[in-house]
Amino acid sequence: MAGRVGKPSRSSGGPGGSGRKGGEQEEEEQPLQAVLVADSFNRRFFPISKDQPRALLPLANVAMIDYTLEFLTSTGVQETFVFCCWMSNKIKEHLLKSKWCRPTSPNVVRIITSDLYRSLGDVLRDVDAKALVRSDFILVYGDVVSNIDVTQALQEHRSYPALSRQRRKAEKNISVMTMIFKQSSPGHKSRCEEDDIIVAMDSKTKRVLHYQRTQGLKKLQFPMNIFHSVSDEFEIRYDLLDCHISICSPQVAELFTDNFDYQTRNDFVRGILVNEEILGNQIHLYVTMDGYGARVSNLLMYDAVSSDMVRRWIYPLTPEANFTDRKGQECTHSRHNVYRGAGVSLGHGSHMAENVLIGRDTSIGANCHISNSVIGSNCTIGDNVVLDRAYVWNGVHIASGAVIRQSVLCDGVKVKERVTLNRQWLCLQVVVGPDISLPEGTVVSMHHPDEEDEEDEDEFLSDGADNSSNQAKTKLKAFSAAEVGAEGKGYIWRPVKQDDTEDDELVQCLWGLVLNDQNSESESEVSEDSNDLDSRGMSPELDDVKVFQTEVLGTLQRGMEENISCDNLVLEINSLKYAYNITLKEVMQVLMRVVLEFPFQQQGPQLAAVQYCALLLRLLKKWAPVFRNYVKRAPDQMDCLESLEEFFLEHETHWGAMVKVLMELYQLDILEEELIMRWFSDGVTSAKSRQLRKNPGLLKFIQWLEEAEDESSEEDGQ
Amino acid sequence: MELQAVVMAAGGGSRMMDLTYSIPKPLLPIGNKPLIWYPLSLLERVGFEEVIVITTKEAQKEVQKLLLTETKLKPDIVCVQEDADMGTADALRHIQQKIKTDVLVVSCDLITDAALHEVVDLFRVHNATLSMLMSKAHEFTETVPGQKGKKKAGEQRDFVGVDDSGKRLLFMANEADLDEDLVIRKSIMRRHPRMHIKTGLVDAHLYCLKRSVIDFLAENKSISSIRGELVPCLVRKQFSKFSSLQKNKEEPNQNMKKKDNHIASADDDLLELALNRSCWNDHRGDMCGAYHGGKLRCYVHIMEEGMCYRVNTLAAYIEANRLASKLFEEPAIHPSAVISERSVVGSDSIIGTYCQIAEKASVKRSTIGASTTIKEKAKITNSIIMNGVTIEEGCNIQGSVICSHATICRGADIKYCLVGNSQRVEAEGDQRLP
Repeated sequence: MAGRVGKPSRSSGGPGGSGRKGGEQEEEEQPLQAVLVADSFNRRFFPISKDQPRALLPLANVAMIDYTLEFLTSTGVQETFVFCCWMSNKIKEHLLKSKWCRPTSPNVVRIITSDLYRSLGDVLRDVDAKALVRSDFILVYGDVVSNIDVTQALQEHRSYPALSRQRRKAEKNISVMTMIFKQSSPGHKSRCEEDDIIVAMDSKTKRVLHYQRTQGLKKLQFPMNIFHSVSDEFEIRYDLLDCHISICSPQVAELFTDNFDYQTRNDFVRGILVNEEILGNQIHLYVTMDGYGARVSNLLMYDAVSSDMVRRWIYPLTPEANFTDRKGQECTHSRHNVYRGAGVSLGHGSHMAENVLIGRDTSIGANCHISNSVIGSNCTIGDNVVLDRAYVWNGVHIASGAVIRQSVLCDGVKVKERVTLNRQWLCLQVVVGPDISLPEGTVVSMHHPDEEDEEDEDEFLSDGADNSSNQAKTKLKAFSAAEVGAEGKGYIWRPVKQDDTEDDELVQCLWGLVLNDQNSESESEVSEDSNDLDSRGMSPELDDVKVFQTEVLGTLQRGMEENISCDNLVLEINSLKYAYNITLKEVMQVLMRVVLEFPFQQQGPQLAAVQYCALLLRLLKKWAPVFRNYVKRAPDQMDCLESLEEFFLEHETHWGAMVKVLMELYQLDILEEELIMRWFSDGVTSAKSRQLRKNPGLLKFIQWLEEAEDESSEEDGQ
Repeated sequence: MELQAVVMAAGGGSRMMDLTYSIPKPLLPIGNKPLIWYPLSLLERVGFEEVIVITTKEAQKEVQKLLLTETKLKPDIVCVQEDADMGTADALRHIQQKIKTDVLVVSCDLITDAALHEVVDLFRVHNATLSMLMSKAHEFTETVPGQKGKKKAGEQRDFVGVDDSGKRLLFMANEADLDEDLVIRKSIMRRHPRMHIKTGLVDAHLYCLKRSVIDFLAENKSISSIRGELVPCLVRKQFSKFSSLQKNKEEPNQNMKKKDNHIASADDDLLELALNRSCWNDHRGDMCGAYHGGKLRCYVHIMEEGMCYRVNTLAAYIEANRLASKLFEEPAIHPSAVISERSVVGSDSIIGTYCQIAEKASVKRSTIGASTTIKEKAKITNSIIMNGVTIEEGCNIQGSVICSHATICRGADIKYCLVGNSQRVEAEGDQRLP
């Protein structure tokens, strides 16, 4: 083979060029190809992915991309295109040294790099542009760990109606993709909430009818039109783990080119399913029961896959197999899944309980207790250290007395004496300690978090961002001793950083992707049950006010975005009022309520009182004419005050804002002082509303009003 | 007595008015037996000794007679007013006093060779609140009189969701009730991650219900039909939590919810203990106990093969007639019938008592009712002839239903028609499917 050395084959005009003219027969014999995307196009592993591309992060002491390539090779792939974007040089360097680029490798690896890839869509469009693939190919990410034999799935995929060149018009429906899933029950640890999916399929043809991520959903909705097909048996499956391995027909690349808005595979699947009736493209699925396949898409998955690896669930990919065939990776396997590399020294009294992998030339002091952990090579670990679910990469120094649980320590990290780490993530070269324990879920990196903000916004879709230029910018900001200890080096990254880009791929709380929605769920069950019998007949009337409320909210939101004038808003609300047959009183209440909730709608419910107040006051000013239109007479003002009170009784933490709101409404001449006073003295309905009236801010305001009133009456008197 | 059997025979047969305006639905002849005979014999076969039959005044006498002559069941006939617009659940509520144990409710229009014990076993094994029978829907192949072409797709499909074992009923909705989406709660999916949704099923209207469900019905007067309201309600309630409900409901509701609890808490202590101590589980995949602690459980037995018809449309009626002969052992041709030796009577035909079939007449794949006279050279294929019909010489009747006491005059040619009660079709008339 000509291209056995992994040179970027871009220049060659694509190896597929010659294959194009081949006939049917040749198609059968064509070698199996794969497209491996060695970039995640998100920043789940940020900030470590700043220094090292995700595909090269070590998992059980082997770079993740090696697992993916091993999987592809063992499943019979003969030609793999590796697409790199972020830190492509490092990946290239790694691959050139690996066994995949040796002349004997059965799988020819071709590396294609470009800084222009922003998404999976870009990669596949490039595949199409360069005409790289000739027949069905396997599409994977560079962080997929799997031992699934896709031969079976491939056969099934080929048995589905496919578009062949001769019969382009004959077949109406063609299958363009087969997605591979692993069966695993909900709650299995290799399923993370974030990647949970629900699939509706046709039982007989295994066709995917509906594919949806379920994160944050309580009710799953399936459009009725998916059930209109010929079949009368469907399956709804929530027991599937998406392996992120898909068998694609060559049309997939073309479809990505045709639809430039497809960025992710999710977009693609959704697009295909929605347009299925029109375009006749179908997606099938293949479920494996015994294979292993998972994508290391976040830290939680990193933890899960690592421990599965050590526990030998991914046989024959096991740590001692040394499938990468590198020097120094050999290790021995002994009871309780304890693996030791060459030259490991273990101090007196140290105990490796179970599921431990220790790399070459690592020395461990006396009386340590290590369990469920992976330790890289050339690490030094002091005495009396406790490690549990710790993932220690290479060259890490852990001083005596440290206790580390469920943490990742990247290359070159130094942990000083008596440091306690729990659910931490320490990036390259960080030093912490001594005598410190960090709050749960922190990330410490040598990069200052602020660097991040200064960066070019364009960059953030990639694994990390170009950091070389930033090195200069990083002024020597002092390391905070309180945060990382007296001798510490590194900056704490706050996990709350949310840039609302890319669908829902936000940086979640680090280890915190837990399934904790059990409680909230029961509530919905209660509510559903209550109306399931009694209110069947009358529910529509009851809902009108609710619907009206959401409509008003929508109107105001639009008004905000498009800067609609208040007159027009009033007009719209009035028409809604007639549409839903709402009384003026209800309009008042709903309007008040919607406006008060508006900041929460915009910013999420955890909004602090101060910010809430600031946002709300701005809104009130903006929409004062709307209020003036509805609040005219004394009863209106009372209604207004009542719904105000009702709202704040539900939001105890924001009582401080209430005074400001009252003040604002008073100053905008929406509420009169007399009525505020009357409300204050009369409107007590419950213990809580009495408590509300004892709020010091409110008392002060009332007092001020009283004085103002006195003054004015005095003035009148004069 | 473990189960009390209740046969619902008060329906008007509103979907086959052509036939039922003269004969009450339970008495429609199928294979020369009244319709209600089939569920009754089903019950008798599996060993029921008593039966409660709910029927209308109109049909009461006939039903009584039938019960005494044709079966050994000890009947208890309850009459309801036909025009009272009672649903099946209303009827059950009506006889609440008579019900002492769990009940088996059967509709009078069910013709099946199903193994009833399958349904009852599900009920017993899982201590279920409800177990029911469903069957694969049949395509009716015969041409239906008075309907041109195939009537298709007008029917609203039912969506039935069952778990992986195909027994536990998880979801039930009619297409008509669903708007644009089919909505399933995630918590259900979490417990039963693989749900099979089937659309091509018919409900056989055979239910095993716990005694407590009858009490529940008594409490909830708004439920009027078993199929339309009670069953979906029970299916939904499987997954709702009772404990948390009681706090925030006002008085009348509270009572009801208590009843819910009552429906549910059917497991006795011993069974509870057995479940705790054994490693048996009804599901796989998570570590939760059997049934996820749910006390209300609904099951369904789905017949994969065999015969299961609900005679509620004309098409089903014709189909049932064709197949009915398989269900009873009696000879197809009644001994009292007088059949000329030179006539042709196919073995797939049923000839009733005191029939007279004259020379050169031919009867194929048809059912001939009692006291019917078929004269010379008449040809009858694929038809249902009820009692007391006279078919004169040289008639040609094909794919039709002729109701009682009709007269078909000489030489009439009738194809795919429905001839009403006591009608007279004139000679040489040529009736065809319009």
